[in-house]
Amino acid sequence: MQSSDLGWEGRRPLIPTARPWRALLESREFTIFAFLLALSVALSLRYPQFRTQPNLADVLLNVSQLAIVGIGMTMVILTAGIDVSVGSALGVCAVVVGDLLIGTHAAVVAVVGGVMAGVVIGLTNGLLVALGRVHSIIITLAMLNILRLVGFALLHGNWLTGIPSDLSALGNGTVLGVPIAWWLAMGLGGLATYFLRSRPSGRHLYAIGGDVEAARLAGVRVTRLTVFVYALTGALAGLAAAVFVGQQGQVQTNAGSGFELQVIAAVVIGGTSILGGKGSVVGTVLGALLVGVIRNALVVAHVPALFEGLVLGALIIVAIGLDLLHRRRGH
Amino acid sequence: MAAVPRPGRWLRAGGREGLIRLLSERPLFLLLLLAIIVVVNAALVPYFLTLGNLLSLTAYAVEIGLLALGEVVVIITGAGAIDLSVGSMVSFASMVFGLLLTRGHVPLWLGITLTLGFGVLMGSVNGLFVTVFRFPALIVTLATLYAYASVPLVLTNTVPISNLPSGLYRLTGSLDGVPTQVVVVFIPVVLVLGFVLHATVLGRYVYSIGINELAARFAAVPVRWTRFAAFCLSGLLAGLTAVVTTSRFASARPDAGMGMELQAITIAVLGGASIAGGSGTVAGVVLATLLVTVMDNAMNVAGLQSTWQLGALGALLIGSALLNQLVRQRFGTRRGRVG
Repeated sequence: MQSSDLGWEGRRPLIPTARPWRALLESREFTIFAFLLALSVALSLRYPQFRTQPNLADVLLNVSQLAIVGIGMTMVILTAGIDVSVGSALGVCAVVVGDLLIGTHAAVVAVVGGVMAGVVIGLTNGLLVALGRVHSIIITLAMLNILRLVGFALLHGNWLTGIPSDLSALGNGTVLGVPIAWWLAMGLGGLATYFLRSRPSGRHLYAIGGDVEAARLAGVRVTRLTVFVYALTGALAGLAAAVFVGQQGQVQTNAGSGFELQVIAAVVIGGTSILGGKGSVVGTVLGALLVGVIRNALVVAHVPALFEGLVLGALIIVAIGLDLLHRRRGH
Repeated sequence: MAAVPRPGRWLRAGGREGLIRLLSERPLFLLLLLAIIVVVNAALVPYFLTLGNLLSLTAYAVEIGLLALGEVVVIITGAGAIDLSVGSMVSFASMVFGLLLTRGHVPLWLGITLTLGFGVLMGSVNGLFVTVFRFPALIVTLATLYAYASVPLVLTNTVPISNLPSGLYRLTGSLDGVPTQVVVVFIPVVLVLGFVLHATVLGRYVYSIGINELAARFAAVPVRWTRFAAFCLSGLLAGLTAVVTTSRFASARPDAGMGMELQAITIAVLGGASIAGGSGTVAGVVLATLLVTVMDNAMNVAGLQSTWQLGALGALLIGSALLNQLVRQRFGTRRGRVG
């Protein structure tokens, strides 16, 4: 790996650039932000229903779930891994949250239970990847299907309905006009950004993604950190499941299906390199916003929902193209 | 990553660790496993061992077997090459095939040829991004997994296409009790691919770039072309699978290949392919295909739906990947790293 692979989202460069404005303008985060702004303005003008308050709140609520899981996924991809099981994990955790709500009527118990279920799932992924030394795509692809089975078995093939509304604050409540879940995502994003930029363990994640053998020789606890990032992703999927249940008030048998694509798209669009060692949570949150707005645009423009896979797939390819182009030009 | 030496050597090399040696002789191990499953099935299901049942099983094996053969060649080429889009390519090619025959009114032979060509086209898009633009195969085929799955759904608004020309159904008829597609499609493909992979220069190219890409490049192996060809082959076999599955169901379904990537990857890994590249055999894939087919059949008989079959396949995939890793580590330390 070249030394230039450490972008500004890593530590600030030792030699301050002569043109800080240009660095900002050329950054991935700025590109997405500008694109997001232009797209939103265009949508508002062309489709007035886009800028209605209920629609925007709905977009933000969906984006919150994407961003929460995206934080974990960013760290997984930073270590050059991937987790395609997050959609199924969200489905299973949503069933756990719903069942606990029905059983106890206690929001705290349900959220903690959902997160714990997510941790168990994430730990399984992490231990198999780190100790079994099998590529993460193999493990998490298998887990995607195993968890779908677990969710199916827990639901006995029926939708989970009649969930009490104790969690609806997390799903639909607002503070200062913005969904609570969005504040939650922002808070977690801030913590994760601090962790990745300023904590030794956070820096080590970049090191693992850059060159795992070099990191190991430099004393980075690769196994422990690898297990940690998958467990964290599972925990965040559990938290997103709580938001999901609060929002929907029911759990379908296919809950969370296809969610993994949206999360991976958000992370990759946000500039996190699929090769590992480069990326930021700020980019992921912006990527999640872009994915959320684009999915909403398909709805308001009456494009068949079936096209979503094609659009997100194409976006991923374009984002990676930009990333690789950037690398090869030696930035 | 160290590559596993070619299977077959270990048998001659001898060794004290009997169990590990058995595990490393993948075809032998799979045969044993297959025998156990067949015996268990025969004991539980009275009509399992009838010739009719066994032969009808092979009809289903053709489709997942063809996909797994394409998958294993892609995985052997190494550098993280994997094709997650095989199932979606089957769905897409099925709908193209159905539309060609019904709305396009093309003759059957031309429809089949064009569908195979379309499969190659889809595979070449994957291959183009991986070899020319050097995108990681994992993310390219993950993107095309969703992209290729979405278009066929839109083509007819999720409605399957039936009323296909009746000549098509002869492909999945019966030749003296043996499903026609086994004789006409699967066995020829296995023989040709087995020959190319294990007895020609092109086959050695495929293994060599998986074992050590740099060394292969220095030996003037066309690394990129070989990997590109592997992705095209995967697309071609997906197109062939689409033709067979359309004939068997007598309709072109927009979700024909859904979940098939898990089956293809599981069979390839169970058959001895390691994601690091350089290992995997046609014989292993054929045996693993039979194993998965018998397992699926057992779950069908037990009345478990497809969700259970996919879940069980997931567990099998993790098990076989861990097994591959165990074998790799034992031989990696004992025999020194190769590659």
